[in-house]
Amino acid sequence: MDLLRRFALGEIDAFETLVRQFQGDIYAWIVRIVRDPSMAEDLTVETLWRIYRARRQFRPDGNFAAWARRIATNLAVDHLRRRRPEQSLLAEPAAAPQSDHLVQRETREKIQQAFRRLPAKLQVAAILALVEEQPYDEIADALGTSVGAVKLRVFRAVRILRKQLNHLGIKPGVERT
Amino acid sequence: MTEHDDREIREALKQSFPPVNTELRRDLWPTMLRKLDAHPARVPWYDWVLVGLSASVFMFFPQLILVFAYHL
Repeated sequence: MDLLRRFALGEIDAFETLVRQFQGDIYAWIVRIVRDPSMAEDLTVETLWRIYRARRQFRPDGNFAAWARRIATNLAVDHLRRRRPEQSLLAEPAAAPQSDHLVQRETREKIQQAFRRLPAKLQVAAILALVEEQPYDEIADALGTSVGAVKLRVFRAVRILRKQLNHLGIKPGVERT
Repeated sequence: MTEHDDREIREALKQSFPPVNTELRRDLWPTMLRKLDAHPARVPWYDWVLVGLSASVFMFFPQLILVFAYHL
C-alpha cells in the first residue's frame, strides 16, 4: 500500500515519513510569509498537527504538498490577522540587508509598518509575489483562489501601500537624507 | 499606476524585508510526536450519538439485540 494511503488510514509510520519529507518545504513557505523563524517553526508544527487530524479528508490520489501548503497558508494568514500592527515583522533578519545605502533604516521601518497595516490576505499575496517572487499560480493554489484574484490582491496592496507611504511623506525609490 | 511605480514599490519592499533563511534548523518530528502523545485520538461526537441512539433502541426494543447479534 502506498505511503499516502497508509497515512490516510492513520498509520503513524507513514505520517512520520511524510513529516520528514515535507517539514522543510512547509517551514520555508511559512517563514517567507511570517518572516520570523521561531514563529514559523511553531506554525509548521501546528500545520503538521492539522494535517494529521484531517488525514481522513485527504484523498490519497491527491497532491499532498499542495494540500499541506494550503493548510500552512491558512495558518499563516490567521497569524498575521492576530498579530498586532506594532509587533515587529522581522524578529531576527537572517542576513544584514545588502542595500542599506538605498533605503534608510527609518524609511524601511515606516514601509514595514505601512505593510503590516494591510489586510492579512493582501500582505500574503504581496510578500510572496513581490518580495519572494513566487510564481502566481503557486500563490493562488496556496491561497485557494485564482491567479487573477492574486494579481488583484497584489495590485490593491501596492495601491494602498503607495497611498500610505505618500501620507507618511515617503517616496519609494528616492533615498531620504 | 504605472509599471515604474510598481517597480519602485517592489524595490522598496525588497529592501525593507531582508531575505529570510528558509532552512529548517531542526527536525520537528520529536515535537510532533510529543503533541500526538499529549492529544490521544478522541472518539468523534457522532460516534457517541450513534452509541446513545443504539442503546436507546435496545432499551425500548430488547428483541432487536438478537437481530443485531445475528447480523454481526
